[in-house]
Amino acid sequence: MTAHLIVNTIITDHLAAPQPGKLAALKQILFKPATRQKMLAFASLLALLVFFSVASPNFLQYGNMVGILQSTAVNGVLAIACTFVIITAGIDLSVGTMMTFCSVMAGVVLTYWGMPLPLGIAAAILFGTLCGFVNGVLIAKLKIPPFIATLGMMMLLKGLSLVISGTRPIYFNSTPEFPVISQESLIGYFVPALPIPNAVLIMFVVAAIASIVLNKTLVGRYTFALGSNEEAVRLSGVNVAFWKIVVYSISGAICGIAGLLIASRLNSAQPALGQGYELDAIAAVVIGGTSLSGGTGTILGTIIGAFIMSVLTNGLRIMSVAQEWQTVLTGLIIILAVYTDILRRGKS
Amino acid sequence: MTQRRLLNIALAASALCAIVPAASAQQIYIPLISKGFQHQFWQAVKSGADQAAKDYKVTVTFEGPETEAMVDKQIDMLAAALAKNPKAIGFAALDSQAATPLLKKAQAAHIPVVAFDSGVDSDIPVTTATTNNKAAAALAADKLAALIGSEGEVAVVAHDQTSRTGVDRRDGFVERIKASYPKIKIVSLQYGGGDQLKSTEVTKSILQAYPNLKGIFGTNEGSAIGVVNGVREMKRKVVIIGYDSGKQQKDAIRDGTMAGAITQNPVGIGYKTVEAAVKALKGETLPKVIDTGFYWYDKTNIADPKIAAVLYD
Amino acid sequence: MTASNPTPLVSIRHLSKSFAGVAALQDCQFELLPGEVHALMGENGAGKSTLMKVLAGVYQKDAGELLLDGRAIEIDSPRAAQALGIGIVHQELNLMNHLSAAQNIFIGREPRRGFGLFVDDDALDAQARRIFERMHLDLDPRTLVGTLTVARQQMVEIAKALSFDSRLLILDEPTAALNNDEVADLFRIIRQLKAQGVGIVYISHRMDELQQIADRVTVMRDGRYIATLPMAGTSVEHIIGLMVGRELAAMVNDPPDTSRNEVVLEVRGLNRGSAIRDVNFSLRQGEILGFAGLMGAGRTEVARAVFGADRIDAGEIRVRGAKVAIKSPADAVAHGIGYLSEDRKHFGLAVGLDVETNIALASMRQFVTLGGFVDAAATRNAAERFVERLHIKTPSVEQQVARLSGGNQQKIVISKWLLRDCDILFFDEPTRGIDVGAKAEIYKLLNALAAEGKAIVMISSELPEVLAMSHRVVVMCEGRITGELRGAELTQEKIMQLATQRQRSDQPATRPEEPLTAA
Repeated sequence: MTAHLIVNTIITDHLAAPQPGKLAALKQILFKPATRQKMLAFASLLALLVFFSVASPNFLQYGNMVGILQSTAVNGVLAIACTFVIITAGIDLSVGTMMTFCSVMAGVVLTYWGMPLPLGIAAAILFGTLCGFVNGVLIAKLKIPPFIATLGMMMLLKGLSLVISGTRPIYFNSTPEFPVISQESLIGYFVPALPIPNAVLIMFVVAAIASIVLNKTLVGRYTFALGSNEEAVRLSGVNVAFWKIVVYSISGAICGIAGLLIASRLNSAQPALGQGYELDAIAAVVIGGTSLSGGTGTILGTIIGAFIMSVLTNGLRIMSVAQEWQTVLTGLIIILAVYTDILRRGKS
Repeated sequence: MTQRRLLNIALAASALCAIVPAASAQQIYIPLISKGFQHQFWQAVKSGADQAAKDYKVTVTFEGPETEAMVDKQIDMLAAALAKNPKAIGFAALDSQAATPLLKKAQAAHIPVVAFDSGVDSDIPVTTATTNNKAAAALAADKLAALIGSEGEVAVVAHDQTSRTGVDRRDGFVERIKASYPKIKIVSLQYGGGDQLKSTEVTKSILQAYPNLKGIFGTNEGSAIGVVNGVREMKRKVVIIGYDSGKQQKDAIRDGTMAGAITQNPVGIGYKTVEAAVKALKGETLPKVIDTGFYWYDKTNIADPKIAAVLYD
Repeated sequence: MTASNPTPLVSIRHLSKSFAGVAALQDCQFELLPGEVHALMGENGAGKSTLMKVLAGVYQKDAGELLLDGRAIEIDSPRAAQALGIGIVHQELNLMNHLSAAQNIFIGREPRRGFGLFVDDDALDAQARRIFERMHLDLDPRTLVGTLTVARQQMVEIAKALSFDSRLLILDEPTAALNNDEVADLFRIIRQLKAQGVGIVYISHRMDELQQIADRVTVMRDGRYIATLPMAGTSVEHIIGLMVGRELAAMVNDPPDTSRNEVVLEVRGLNRGSAIRDVNFSLRQGEILGFAGLMGAGRTEVARAVFGADRIDAGEIRVRGAKVAIKSPADAVAHGIGYLSEDRKHFGLAVGLDVETNIALASMRQFVTLGGFVDAAATRNAAERFVERLHIKTPSVEQQVARLSGGNQQKIVISKWLLRDCDILFFDEPTRGIDVGAKAEIYKLLNALAAEGKAIVMISSELPEVLAMSHRVVVMCEGRITGELRGAELTQEKIMQLATQRQRSDQPATRPEEPLTAA
């Protein structure tokens, strides 16, 4: 479906620019270790798709495919947010409740205060950036370990979401255009045969932009550098604290987008939701080949990881595998993915 | 390494095949999407559904999200269930608004939707198999009144104010007290989210504030256990009325800490939901609500087989 | 060298620096002329790296003057040093393995475009390529640093230092990981820089290299400046004499003759990569065998290998004549071998726990009763016995070890091994970080243990200590044993000579701290 996008992101999504001579360049790119890992993840995804298509006739139906896309969107965006942080060798456990908090704030702005839609969208992203900023300050300035700092933020934001919303969902009925963000289809507007929900489109757009930021901009460069050898970066005279805060802020902004997506899908901000979603996001990142020890990682890998998880869950549901077993298998796949990654690194 | 990874996936896949239930292409397929899955209450509903599946020779699956907050995960489950082209669906909505688009799809595809438990706030379902929570809570009010001599101060520890069950049980109790027991005063009505710990703390604050309190009603299992804990820790003598069952409530009733509780009929809910779905497919008209029943139980009848059948651990 | 009386590029005068009250540099001086290669030499701990780190802005001086081109300056950060044209290539590499060579070199100074948001990778690579060409280095700037050999990683570090258009380049042990060809390449680059007027400080122990490349040599000892001499015409012996020439402490070396005691430990053909090359030695009962050499010579590696802490490639170990297989510390301890590491806080003690637990740590089996319970009374007794026997100053055996002084901590580690009945003991830098008074006590203790019949290997970088305590000394250099000394020939000069005696044919050592990683 997005072969062109995939190829493009493969080419932009690594650290060396192609040499003159496109075929030679492509060959060089294809056989780099980083690309091989992505190929691996992609091959696994294809294998799963093939398996489930064979196992059940209901799987490869158009409606179900759209369902898979729809259920990946939110986790995919959260996983993109996590990717940035994990590449710096940090971790962010607050992404789930941060997403909820941003959706609640959108609810406050749009429903409680009756503001127009663009302000609500801006509010979600702004509050996300703010929360990310706070995370960054806790970690970079106060030197609290990322695990603890973001754990604390996770609970703080969970509580705040419940407090601000009065523990009840905030509905967006007063903003009739709100569901458009997730549920309507811009693509379907132009190509009636493909009514793919906007949430999916937004996920891919965010992925593309994130990939460019990560690989082409200064922020992205420092993200990798910090994860690779923070001390060396410091000794090179770079303001480590500043850039760490920037990375966490970016991650927060992306969580804000996720908040908009989930709120728009349910047409409500559900304040009790969110805790536990960070684990799905981190799992997607890890399955996609990003190492928790930092310094390396790709957005494409994360997206593939997110799809592997949602395809797996959906396929098992379609096959009517008992719910208990679904989580068992997902857990096994995660362990497998990390183990394969460790083996691969050990070999080289 | 590619081969190894694929091999691993293949192994996992073959393990899957052992788990997939036997061929069911011939039988009518009815998926039930519930509000939860892990809690014993839902497992009791599931067992009722499984029993009905056997009796009516249909295939039933039962799933629900890990917590009642995961609205979007429930929507994903509903979407996947619809993708399997079921003949009918059983559904208990976490958020009716969020589910409406998919339910409309089901309706358009002539798939009857049978709501259960707190149901769906919509007229799409052909019927709702549920407990009459208001009447059940009113019965609780009667029992509490009888045990405290129809006068005095009482309190309610409710679980939430947004779900149908939360609202109905609270209102059922409160309205009954107001209407029939003028000498009983509800001095405090607090929400513990159904969480035992929180409900314990809430109870303790209530007991602290009202030294003459005579009775407390907990509107679901978590709330009731919280009330029991709170009363125990504060060492007060208070009449406690609970709701649903679960091992801790049953033990509390057996040892006298709790006076008694109202139980729903979760097994009946599951059974009646599947039964209603089968009936709907046969073209029978169904009542708007199927009352699955509720019972009062205390030390005297907890061992009664009829009561024991609807209690879960 | 240029005309007479040229202005020195950099001049350091009366420089002092302390760390936590301990003086690392005292009243040091140093001078570098433009276009000069100036060697900086001294034993381990003489202060060479510290002095240069002050110049590079990594540390700040406590007292003294820094002059650049005759003007007094302050250098308060690495960035400030870079801005002044001072570049340093540290002994430990500071590279980001996941980034390319070009990205590493220009980190923090990337060429930008697009409103300063985007990195101009093409310009980056081009600039790096230019530097590599200047160095005649055949390296693709887009190569990931983690995939390079240590030697080439070092080249990247040098390129990075050069990229600052440094007028002054400090190289700290640059050739430790280079083979002969690579050393030749490095020297070519150094000569080019010389011709361009760049001043180079070259810290190294390798006499042969210095004789080839250095113009002058400055010797430091114990944190002080000793002398500066022209390289040409100065003998190696003279330099070594300056490096070690100190008044020896009053302790006289008069060990008993243990040369006919039973051999308790024999090591033959020990090999581990390039860290341990064909090491053979034997240890006799009641003997204190000193292991001397420079840092990185391989002494700790040998001890750890015999102790089973590291795997070996080849080698035979015999304990009391019987061949043994030691695959782990547990095996070693079972044969009565104990090892006191040089970093006792990390490897010798559980600093958060009390004296009693630490002493009993290696012997817990003895104190376990049926059911898995620890006999607290027994452990306390054992601990108290050792506190008394070794005169450990602690209010009680329940005192947390972290609160005790270094000397007492060391005694606790010794107690641990004595309790376990180890009679072959490896002491790695036994008096490091211990004050003079406590040192004397440790020496007494060591002598007492030897007199009791324990066999002791004492690894030490402090020559006076080695001379005073050892019955016999084995000297190592770059993984090999270069000689054994006893009696009259046991002098500081001889030790230092053997410690710097390299074998040119050896492949360079790989630095164990930098494993090669792929992206």
